[in-house]
Amino acid sequence: MLVLGCIALITGCGCLGLWLAYRIRRRPMELRECSMALALLDTEIVWGATPLPEAFCILKERTDSPWQDFFAELQERLQQGESASTAWRETMITRNAQFCLKPEDWQVIGDVGKGLGRSDRTEQHKQIELVQRQLIIMKEQAEVWSSKQAKMWSYLGFLGGIAGVLILI
Amino acid sequence: MCPALILFYKGFMSKTYKVDIPSIKGGNDVSLHYTLSVVQAPKVTSKAMGPQREGSLPGLNKSATLWADMARWFGDDIRSILLNLKGVDFNEVEELRLRVGQPLLVRTLDKDLFINQEGLAASPQKAYFIKHEDLASAIERMTHSSVYAVEEDLKQGFITLPGGNRVGITGEAVLLNGQIQTIKHISSLNLRIARDIRGLSLKILPLLLSSDGSICHTLIISPPRAGKTTLLRDLIRSISNGVPQVGLKGQTVGVVDERGELAGMWQGVPTYDLGFRTDVLDGCPKASGMSMMVRSMSPQVLAMDEIGHTDDVIAIADALRTGVQILSTAHASSIEEAQNRPVITHLLDQGVFERLVVLSRQHGPGTIEGVYDLRTGRIL
Repeated sequence: MLVLGCIALITGCGCLGLWLAYRIRRRPMELRECSMALALLDTEIVWGATPLPEAFCILKERTDSPWQDFFAELQERLQQGESASTAWRETMITRNAQFCLKPEDWQVIGDVGKGLGRSDRTEQHKQIELVQRQLIIMKEQAEVWSSKQAKMWSYLGFLGGIAGVLILI
Repeated sequence: MCPALILFYKGFMSKTYKVDIPSIKGGNDVSLHYTLSVVQAPKVTSKAMGPQREGSLPGLNKSATLWADMARWFGDDIRSILLNLKGVDFNEVEELRLRVGQPLLVRTLDKDLFINQEGLAASPQKAYFIKHEDLASAIERMTHSSVYAVEEDLKQGFITLPGGNRVGITGEAVLLNGQIQTIKHISSLNLRIARDIRGLSLKILPLLLSSDGSICHTLIISPPRAGKTTLLRDLIRSISNGVPQVGLKGQTVGVVDERGELAGMWQGVPTYDLGFRTDVLDGCPKASGMSMMVRSMSPQVLAMDEIGHTDDVIAIADALRTGVQILSTAHASSIEEAQNRPVITHLLDQGVFERLVVLSRQHGPGTIEGVYDLRTGRIL
């Protein structure tokens, strides 16, 4: 029984560690996908003058979950008549839990919604480009951070489990 | 308990994570190249987009449905008024006018109705007074929160809604080097309801045919709100499909729809039926659109709405040399007025047009005042 308990504790802590490591690794990927989606949005706005609901529909089809769900909700909200800034803000709140992003990432992503759709194509391009630049910097920092942290948490989970077993015994 | 385990436990308890196992996708799959792929947007139906085809719904239900469709372009207050509107048949309505600080006005065929909060016609003093937020909300909805997508239209003081309904806009013009950049502090909106009346052109079509059965170069003139666009739309459809009763064979028609009113294009699909042999160049300036159309689609008839710019005249003169027949409209209430407009008189003096159709509102929109043979000066 004791042995089974020890194994369960080590396995549980190990899985938690692996899961946290997975989330840490996901963050730069999500930032990269966001940056790609913004590049696509920029193209749709500047080159195609595509209205936002249609542009979000295109983004929805070209991204993977969780960004796919994010843009699908945005498209739906805009089609229901919500303003772009409100829709962006509200979607960030409702979809936040699906992402592995940090509050500072959301702060930058939230800037996209502030002037979205309210000015001409040149201004839209400037705003999106500014956010993209910030996202690229954050993604690079996140990559460096995740390479160290993810490895640490992968081991730390199991080591924590072993430590717990030793303390309890 | 070891500190690492405590930290681990605290971190876990402080957040509720949703475990998601997404298929990790490389950024390579996201193409930055704009493609002309068909977007799987909600299907646009004539009901949703608002063309008002005669006889598609019975009586009151039809009017209520059309009002409900129109109401979606407005914010909560005006939407609720339009949804509760009583005693105003949508088919009789020509315009909805919203002016900041002024009462909500619905213009029908023969009267102006001021509408109150309950959706009833009232005196101007008791009507619902338009707020700045009503206009801001309407613009937000009409542009789908995408002002950049209509920036060229805004410079000309209008936007076209899906379905061809045109919204005139006034406000404060923002200039850059003497050119209008956009309009801010919007103070008035005029939503003009587009109509599609089939068979309207049959009365005059025989008069527009030459002896060899082809269409004459025709100019339709009228003051605003007299049915120029509606008549032109039906003429295009008749010419495109052909009318055997009058000996007209179907011809290829190229439509340069600069303002998007003739076809009411929405994501590449025309809302209005313009016939089997019609190609539409949507949102393109007439002058460049005409030469593009002639070069690329070899039309027999070239149709466009509201000529009035010097560039249009040059493009029409150029198109004439390619052997296409021209069908167009212009603002003027009589031949005399048309002759006083420099651009139109230039075309008339050059003998570009063979037929002139004059419309008025004398007996409602679309009243035909006369069809003139410009070569002989006779009324046909």
